[in-house]
Amino acid sequence: MSAVLSRTAKLRHPVAGTLAVLGYVVMIVPILFVVATAFTAGSTLRFPPDGLSLRWFGEAVAYSPFLEAVVSSLELAVLATGLALLLGVPVTLAIHRGRLPGKDLLEGLFLSPLVVPELVVGLALYQQLMIGLRLDNFTTLLLGHTALLLPYAVRVTGASLALADPALEEAARGLGASPLRAFVTVTLPMLRPGLISAGLLGFVTSFNNVPLSLLLQTRDFRTLPPAMLDYVQQSYDPMVAAASTLVLAATVVVAVVAERTVGFAKIFGGINR
Amino acid sequence: MTTPAAALVGVTQQFGGFTAVDSIDLKIPRGRLTTLLGPSGCGKTTTLRMLAGYSAPTSGRILIDGEDATRTPPEKRNLGMVFQSYALFPHMTVADNVAYGPKMRGVPGAERRRRAGEALELVGLAHLGDRKPKQLSGGQQQRVALARAVAIRPRLLLLDEPLSNLDARLRVQMRAEIRRIQSETGLTVVLVTHDQDEALEMSDEMVLMRAGKIVQTGAPRDVFPTPADRFVAEFLGYENFLTLADGRQAAVRPEHLRVVPLDTPADGAVALDATVRDVAYRGVDLLVTLDATDPAGTAVRLLADHRTDAAAGPTPSAGDRVRLLAPEARLALLPALSEPELDPVTEGIS
Ligand SMILES: Nc1ncnc2c1ncn2[C@@H]1O[C@H](COP(=O)(O)OP(=O)(O)OP(=O)(O)O)[C@@H](O)[C@H]1O
Ligand SMILES: [Mg+2]
Repeated sequence: MSAVLSRTAKLRHPVAGTLAVLGYVVMIVPILFVVATAFTAGSTLRFPPDGLSLRWFGEAVAYSPFLEAVVSSLELAVLATGLALLLGVPVTLAIHRGRLPGKDLLEGLFLSPLVVPELVVGLALYQQLMIGLRLDNFTTLLLGHTALLLPYAVRVTGASLALADPALEEAARGLGASPLRAFVTVTLPMLRPGLISAGLLGFVTSFNNVPLSLLLQTRDFRTLPPAMLDYVQQSYDPMVAAASTLVLAATVVVAVVAERTVGFAKIFGGINR
Repeated sequence: MTTPAAALVGVTQQFGGFTAVDSIDLKIPRGRLTTLLGPSGCGKTTTLRMLAGYSAPTSGRILIDGEDATRTPPEKRNLGMVFQSYALFPHMTVADNVAYGPKMRGVPGAERRRRAGEALELVGLAHLGDRKPKQLSGGQQQRVALARAVAIRPRLLLLDEPLSNLDARLRVQMRAEIRRIQSETGLTVVLVTHDQDEALEMSDEMVLMRAGKIVQTGAPRDVFPTPADRFVAEFLGYENFLTLADGRQAAVRPEHLRVVPLDTPADGAVALDATVRDVAYRGVDLLVTLDATDPAGTAVRLLADHRTDAAAGPTPSAGDRVRLLAPEARLALLPALSEPELDPVTEGIS
């Protein structure tokens, strides 16, 4: 009996291992295809590529709708991330350090955007803010993305705060620091890794967001993902692959920076706490 | 009489409907070491936190240097607190931790470093100023926390179970170390502990607490031989309780009960006849468990330490009929049986 049990336990590992490898293959192979086709010298989006060249990268970088869209995406990502942190940190402090009666409710509220489908949120924002309140689409997008990033900001900064001993702030107060000074000199440094992770994660999430950005785009302000989708519908050349590859490269750089400064384990530990 | 360094006047702390500290009055004598001693949950930390200003009492007043400080925030009290977790700032070096207090007081850089150095010197860690707290052992962290609290030249030094995270040997060393720092600086110290040996060894003044109330205060030499009631006696290690012939209650420690042959004269001691139930070998002595009848005729279970050297007389073994002698001078007389003292309060007694 116990021999059978131990054998099934052993069997489970190879199965899990195989599934994991399969998962990686399914995830990575299509990306490799895209990257490979981006380097083609030919003019169709095809694998294997016809020859090797950087021409499509040149074209992608010079294509003004993409360029404008990248600038818009960056602008939106930076502002939305900043806003989400600015709102998220006080919420985190209230949840972890405050003496609110409805703490759990508050925490639940700020995490709910994680589970509401973004298309629904997008549609709601479109109806209420753009049509209803006549806000321009940049403002609406900014609000939408901020709401989208807020749970990340609260969770990830919360994870750093949960690790810090609450007695630290009390110690600072006892040593003569006003509440504000204790916050700046002790609490904020404790929050730093969380702020960096939340910032990077928020930036990437906003930059890559499709549903909200797609629903709320206009001719005047459009982020990169909708611009690329738009392009693909009209022409099927490798420029999109080149643009995607560039985005991918930039994301990898951000990920490496994140790993070097605070570590991925912490970032994702923060989300799944 | 000089004003006490601090005083609590009718201080009560309630959490929801629960009374953690129940209308206590306490004076902290200046320049001395006072311990708050009591079992877990009796309100020691709560009392210390009210003194430090981290929580406001539900009612009552807190005086520091004779002035009302009940509503003064911690940063204006100028008290040095050492937390049980030490609460060293992990992102600062040891020296910066210690210089933090002077910095918050606007002491200029050079003077600040000098003071930090001085405080680290006091705890013998001047050479570790550049380390981060994480790179120190528990004992070293504890000293840094002490240095940090001392560096602000506090009116009171408050220590919440400062030794409980240290191993047994280090704990005993640090008792002497804290006493030395106290006498070198002349600081008024309030130390919270649930360890009676620690309190006896370190205190000028002991404050025994139970369930949010103070049950006895005094110098160890006064408290130890005359516990105020059965609770205090049990807490201080009196294991044996008996009723004397005249109806008075008495407590006696196992090391003061002598196990002798049946025919030994009492010689002024209280004598009880007993049967040895069990004998446990403990190196220097034997722990003898006995069934006896006390002078009031009640059956009692008693413990006696019996030395293993020859002077102590014949070695008892289980089943022996023996005589127990309790010298009058070693009996701690307790007030007549009163209600709450009877329930066995053993939590937190190690
Ligand atoms: N913030 C709080 N909210 C509710 N109850 C509390 C709070 N702080 C303390 N208590 C309760 O008050 C009582 C006294 O707590 P306190 O921490 O003062 O005990 P203590 O004597 O320091 O015990 P220990 O030796 O275990 O540290 C305990 O029953 C505790 O559960
Ligand atoms: Mg405590």
